[in-house]
Amino acid sequence: MKAIARLVFSYFTGTPVLRACTIGGLALMAIDFYFVATQPQSGEKLWIAILGLMFFFVGSSLMPVMFGRLARSHSVGVLPGGRVKLLLSAFVTILLVALPVGVLSPASLIATNSSLAEVMKDPRARDYVVGVAALTFSSAVLFAGWMYLAMWFLTSQRNMAGLFKGLLVVMLVMFAPAREIHEFTVSLSWNLLQIAIIWFVFGAGFLWWPRFKSARARHTGERFAGLAGVLTGRTAGREFDVMLGTANPWLLVAALALPLVLMTRFVHETPSVWVYFLTIFSAVTGAYSGQAVQRSRALWLRGDWSRTALFSLVERSVWRHNAHVLGALALVIVGVGLDAGFPATLLAASVPLLVLGTILSTYLGLMNTRGLGWLEIVVAVSVMLLLMVLAVLIARERLDIVGIVAMELGLAVLAIVLRIAAHRRWKQLDWMMCRPDRALTARGA
Amino acid sequence: MNSASVEASNLSKAFGQKQVLQGMSFGVSPGDVIGVLGKNGAGKTTLLELMLGFTAPTAGAIRVFGHESHRLPGAIKARVGFVPQQDELLDQLTVADQLRVIASFYSHWDSALIERLCGEWGVNVNARIKSMSVGERQKLSILLAFGHKPELLILDEPVASLDPIARRQFLEQLLTISTDGQRAIVFSSHIVSDIERLANRIWILKDGKLDWQGDLDSLKESIVRLHIRGTGAELPQFRIPGVLNVRRDGAFATAVVRDWTSEAQAALEKDAAVQVEVEMLGLEEIFVELHK
Amino acid sequence: MFILNPQSGIPIYRQILEQVRRMVASGQLPPGTALPSVRDLALRHTINPMTISRAYSILETEGLLERNRGRPMTVASQAKNHSQLPKRLQQIGPLVEQTVVAAKQLQLTEAELVKTVRREWEQNDE
Repeated sequence: MKAIARLVFSYFTGTPVLRACTIGGLALMAIDFYFVATQPQSGEKLWIAILGLMFFFVGSSLMPVMFGRLARSHSVGVLPGGRVKLLLSAFVTILLVALPVGVLSPASLIATNSSLAEVMKDPRARDYVVGVAALTFSSAVLFAGWMYLAMWFLTSQRNMAGLFKGLLVVMLVMFAPAREIHEFTVSLSWNLLQIAIIWFVFGAGFLWWPRFKSARARHTGERFAGLAGVLTGRTAGREFDVMLGTANPWLLVAALALPLVLMTRFVHETPSVWVYFLTIFSAVTGAYSGQAVQRSRALWLRGDWSRTALFSLVERSVWRHNAHVLGALALVIVGVGLDAGFPATLLAASVPLLVLGTILSTYLGLMNTRGLGWLEIVVAVSVMLLLMVLAVLIARERLDIVGIVAMELGLAVLAIVLRIAAHRRWKQLDWMMCRPDRALTARGA
Repeated sequence: MNSASVEASNLSKAFGQKQVLQGMSFGVSPGDVIGVLGKNGAGKTTLLELMLGFTAPTAGAIRVFGHESHRLPGAIKARVGFVPQQDELLDQLTVADQLRVIASFYSHWDSALIERLCGEWGVNVNARIKSMSVGERQKLSILLAFGHKPELLILDEPVASLDPIARRQFLEQLLTISTDGQRAIVFSSHIVSDIERLANRIWILKDGKLDWQGDLDSLKESIVRLHIRGTGAELPQFRIPGVLNVRRDGAFATAVVRDWTSEAQAALEKDAAVQVEVEMLGLEEIFVELHK
Repeated sequence: MFILNPQSGIPIYRQILEQVRRMVASGQLPPGTALPSVRDLALRHTINPMTISRAYSILETEGLLERNRGRPMTVASQAKNHSQLPKRLQQIGPLVEQTVVAAKQLQLTEAELVKTVRREWEQNDE
């Protein structure tokens, strides 16, 4: 018990800054509770509590990382019941963070008219308050759990992939439960069931992990048909793509399709959906292709290819990747758009837009052979702006067909120009100048 | 001269306005182990990357096994191995997968050798690369360059992030590789003691030029420190050929000279009526003196 | 067998030369003794084998070592006699020079130095 309490305490006091956040958060929430409990019509002061809760949550934001580190440490295996205590400490932390929500929200619901102290004198009102409290508390427990998962991605993998995953979890959590609450499909029993299932699975997996690991170590020679094995199986024969980072388009599809689906559910102004989505998609595609340029360096010495031949092979590999993403996303957009009731003409016009966006950003990426200079930035920004303008035009009530077609043709010509430029640059590709930082080191060494 | 592994004539490289290398001419023969020394920013990486065709020279030419490095044909590339300064490992793969990926590009990959080395060097084949330490990643990078038994092996600061034990293991492996077959090895390093063990030839890069290229043994015999003592209270004026640094102190002087010979010593002792004692310098001392 | 210092100002091949010459002259390496192979020595001391084989070649031309096909190099049977007096005197030259210089710095006379040398010679015979 004491160990668990100590662990939880340490989660909230990880660094001096976080300690301050925790204390500040608690203070704010206490202030709001005082108002809500004793003074009528203090429901608007809920923002104090919300602010306090955010601070309180931030104060414990290192919990996932500390949890992970402790889980991997030697001591947790040695101490009696170490893993169980660790698991419980995480659960207790989540309960603590969810508690203020459970207490304060029903209280402030009531407090719009009277104070909590008055209301609690009525037994029926008391039941109602307790019911609402239980409901919001359980929802908060679920929500907090997912938030900590997002925190885990953000704080433990300090790179783009981690940021992506964290944001993905946040978006999923924001939309799904929010939708439930919006449509009043939330219920205490369903919440409790979810909590039970999630924590059972997580707890079981966590507690059994050491045994699983040692069993796996004993079978080092055998091929494990886990996710990793499946991936490796698929990459045999596609080593070129693996080197370039273009072997697995489905990761990108998943990362992009999900936000798209969610956005069409909750955002009601259609042009903004397309514009937002298109810009992100094009930027990501371009980034992938640009990455392929600098990763091609590792291929130079590994095969019988000149720079021009390498360009064709890289181009093909990048297109294999981008085409899959493009195809899948086109399907998603059309499917989702039909389901959400967007006009068919809008959908028909947006697929070429998507295709153009892909082509342009692919070659912008492949052109990126000398680091990011003024020319590259100007061209990239102009292309983005043009695509966005086109997106807005398409989403308008009355389509300016001539204008749209003209723009699309213009962009197609630009795509051809960019390809020629990329091809010419590759003939003289200098891998010492490829990346901005590499170029700097080159000039210094 | 077609037996040369690498040949450069009047090689120059500039990045924009900055001239990094100028007018370098050198050769690498099979069996050579060449240590490249130079201050940070002297151009070591540029030189090695020029050798492999990652970048093209601004003037002059450099050829590997007779072919221009910028346009190496596949058959030549298969005889060359490279360990870059910053590793090019794929984080999401395991060690085994990474080895498999690279091996697929070569027809002469020696898996038995790599497996044995993984065992000897303590490389966990099932570890995921992103969870490995810098030293382990470096060991893997070195393995990736050995597997196809290259005839020309180029390494850019290969042991910078290895602990002394790992470094020693690496040196031993490099020695085994260089003793069997006619392989040429070129490596740049800051760790002078490693170069002193391994290299038989030294290139010293200074101000974009090869300040010294030759045998390590000759280098040590050529650059020496003289302790000069006059007979009287004050040292007479004298001139020493090939002097790098001189320090006078009353009746004594120390001078670091290059291209020292016994004839020069005899001449000096006779002309200036001084006593000369020769101190031989280790490679680190020599490097420091050359840069004073 | 050898004490080799790669960081020394003295090239490794010279260190080997001096040590082999001294050991042969003193009888530490009797004729017929096999020397470690170039490869073994290189791996044991972690040094470049070319510097070792250079030393061995020089010793071979001097007549101190002889090559045997398929077997390691051995100390030549005529080694001791082949080492002519002038050569042996040349070997000890540097040490004598150092001693003389030190003695002069300590302001000893030639006679005093010779007396010390003689005493040392007699003591060492035992």
